[in-house]
Amino acid sequence: MADTDDASLGVPRWVTAVLPLMLLLVVVGLFLATNPLAGVESGSPLPDVAITYVEVPNSDVMVVHVVNNGPEPVTIAQVLVDEAYWDFRIDGTGGDTTLAPREQARIVIPYHTTQGWDFDITLITGDGVTFHHTVVAASPTPGLTVDLLETLALIGIFVGVIPVALGMLWFPAMESLSPRWVHAILLFSAGILAFLAFDAGFEAFEIAADVPGFLDGRLVVVLGVLGALLAVQAVSAWQEAGAGETSGLWIAYLVALGIGLHNLAEGLAIGSSFALGRVALGSFLVIGFMLHNVTEGPAVVAPLTRAERPPTWHFLGLGVLAGAPVIVGGWIGALAYSPTLGTLFLAIGVGAIIQVIWELAKLVDREGGTATSALNIVAFGVGIVVMYATDILVAI
Amino acid sequence: MQPLDYERAAAMTETLQDQLVAAIEDDIDRRTILKAIGGLTAAGGAVAGTAAGAGGHNGDGAGSYGFEDNGHFAEVGEYRDRSFDPHEFLTTFNTGRDGQDTVDQEVYEEDGRTVRHYQFTAAKTTVTIAPGIEFPAWAYNGQVPGPTLRAVEGDLIRVTFNNLHVHDHTIHPHLRNLNPAMDGIPSNGPGSIDAEEDPFTYEWIAQPAGCHLYHCHSLPLKAHLHRGLYGAIIVDPDPDRVREHPRDYINYHGPMTEDLRDSLVARAKSRNHEAPENDAVNEMVVVMNGFDTNFDGDNEVYAANTRAFAYGLADTDGEGSWSGGQTVHPITVDKDTPQRIYLINTTEFDPINSFHSHSQFFDYYDHGTTLYPTHSTIDTIMQCQAQRGIVELDYGDHQPGLYMFHAHQSEFAELGWMSFFEVTG
Repeated sequence: MADTDDASLGVPRWVTAVLPLMLLLVVVGLFLATNPLAGVESGSPLPDVAITYVEVPNSDVMVVHVVNNGPEPVTIAQVLVDEAYWDFRIDGTGGDTTLAPREQARIVIPYHTTQGWDFDITLITGDGVTFHHTVVAASPTPGLTVDLLETLALIGIFVGVIPVALGMLWFPAMESLSPRWVHAILLFSAGILAFLAFDAGFEAFEIAADVPGFLDGRLVVVLGVLGALLAVQAVSAWQEAGAGETSGLWIAYLVALGIGLHNLAEGLAIGSSFALGRVALGSFLVIGFMLHNVTEGPAVVAPLTRAERPPTWHFLGLGVLAGAPVIVGGWIGALAYSPTLGTLFLAIGVGAIIQVIWELAKLVDREGGTATSALNIVAFGVGIVVMYATDILVAI
Repeated sequence: MQPLDYERAAAMTETLQDQLVAAIEDDIDRRTILKAIGGLTAAGGAVAGTAAGAGGHNGDGAGSYGFEDNGHFAEVGEYRDRSFDPHEFLTTFNTGRDGQDTVDQEVYEEDGRTVRHYQFTAAKTTVTIAPGIEFPAWAYNGQVPGPTLRAVEGDLIRVTFNNLHVHDHTIHPHLRNLNPAMDGIPSNGPGSIDAEEDPFTYEWIAQPAGCHLYHCHSLPLKAHLHRGLYGAIIVDPDPDRVREHPRDYINYHGPMTEDLRDSLVARAKSRNHEAPENDAVNEMVVVMNGFDTNFDGDNEVYAANTRAFAYGLADTDGEGSWSGGQTVHPITVDKDTPQRIYLINTTEFDPINSFHSHSQFFDYYDHGTTLYPTHSTIDTIMQCQAQRGIVELDYGDHQPGLYMFHAHQSEFAELGWMSFFEVTG
């Protein structure tokens, strides 16, 4: 080992730390100045314009949200609707029709749409490249109003807060069970969470396809999952280091957090569906969400059954943490629909849930049970099946 | 032998119809699910269509699916909506004197000219284009094609147009019209008529004689056309004018003999609904159209007069009595009566459509503006969109029975534009 005290090779340590970066800058500068690859470069990068989504504020106009994913500026020269050249105006590019790399814009098309019909939109760039998007079963997007926010809050209360609270009412019954059955219920909860992890994970990858190309949606998912997993693990480890061991209440809060993040994503889906006029949220669907989410209640309170019963306000806190994010998610989804945000929230939920599953298994083992006993494995499986069965009711 | 042929003809119609319905219903179901959660409808026709298709030539394979053979008739082939009858439409002409109850019309003289005055509306409606398949249409006077107008050369056609729809519409005539304000386009005269406006009255001189059409010219054109805003204008030649200006009606540069002049006048009388000679001919209007049900810019259903296979399904004795089809049956024609078809192509999305007659050749008058045929002794004619013409044929030499006519794009025929004449007598 070199002497690390003050200097190596006779220069200060900070110089050795910065030197590689300095050299890199010099190489880049030389490369740009001399362009040694000029002979092998051919053609230019392909233009890439993504149509992220289309709003139909009313039956007389369509608003196309676009982003330039390519490395070069792109000029939107003409717009076709149903294979007919049509009027348009581009907002958000500072007056011209050219999108800089990574620049976003709105193309406003005055067009008399008919609800329920498809409309094919084609953008033609200055060099004749075309980009397509089909508005499927056009439906007026309601726009942001106080009414909409109230409606979303009401839906959030029905599909998030109430079912989780009702599910938590199983707590007294769960308390009276033997440790063996309490462990089974903890694993049942883990099964529920495992299902949610897959559910949200698949959905994250689905929405990731709409994330602007330069951000790479799939890596946003990876970032979200790993980031959340490590963050929750770090917080958990820090708490464990302080308290000596992880308390049931702490795990209950972690479970509530994981479920809350999942419900936030659920709210995002509902909110953005509303914002895009995509879904008529019928009573059937609301009931489906309630049945689906009522199973989350016992999952939240299961870790508390072995310890002393905490004060009531904790139950309130747990319920709000797990259920209320549906409301927040709904608002975010309606206010600022973005596939990137949706993907990130879903991925964060998945990461948190994975960590909580691990935490539940540790809890069972620490209490003298075996997480992998036959009964517990069956309970885990039952949790997954119950979620699958109730999930059928909420397929949007 | 003949009953067997009828059965096979009927079986083919039935099979094609079932397949068409099944294919489109699958697609419609997808859209239904997308729009509304719950209330799913099963694609009832799917099993029948597949089974019949699997039957092949002898129907043996259909047995295990509960079909006796592939000549089996079923109610699935009936049209439930009776508000439009393509058989009635075929021979209904609105002359101002008489026509459809749904078209207010009158005839009066004004400044020495006969005026035929019609009340038109435009509105959203639903038309049945195949059994069980409803197409959201925009229609003149609630029907697709719109009412057939018929006038005599030189008359004034006056159409008072009241738009009841949220979209703006016009009526654009394919006539020799000398006033741009009456051209029925968004950028001329009254422009597109919206629902808030008072009704606008179009006036067009009925000229030249021929088989013409009208349609909406609002934007986007493709939608306004293929949603159903089109119809026929038949302009009958005026025999007196033909006698005075015979060369307007014939593509011929030789000497105008009295015989030729008389022949032209006789032909004009045969074409003129006010002349007794016209009664000797059976006249029909066939508008070839198509319908894009799934917004892919391609038609899922093709038809003669809107309804797929409406002149198809046949189990008949050759004497004019059918069994099996109430709303779907061939067009009965008398073998000794000349047949005249006013043929118009309004098909959107495809460059051409066509008309082909089985076992007989016909004379064809492109646009119907001449009194001698522009094509003689042909059995297939093609038309681009808005092209039209007159088909004259007869089955005088033929044995009674079924004679097919259809688009000779096999695709269009199998998607609905397939029809039969049942020749009797």
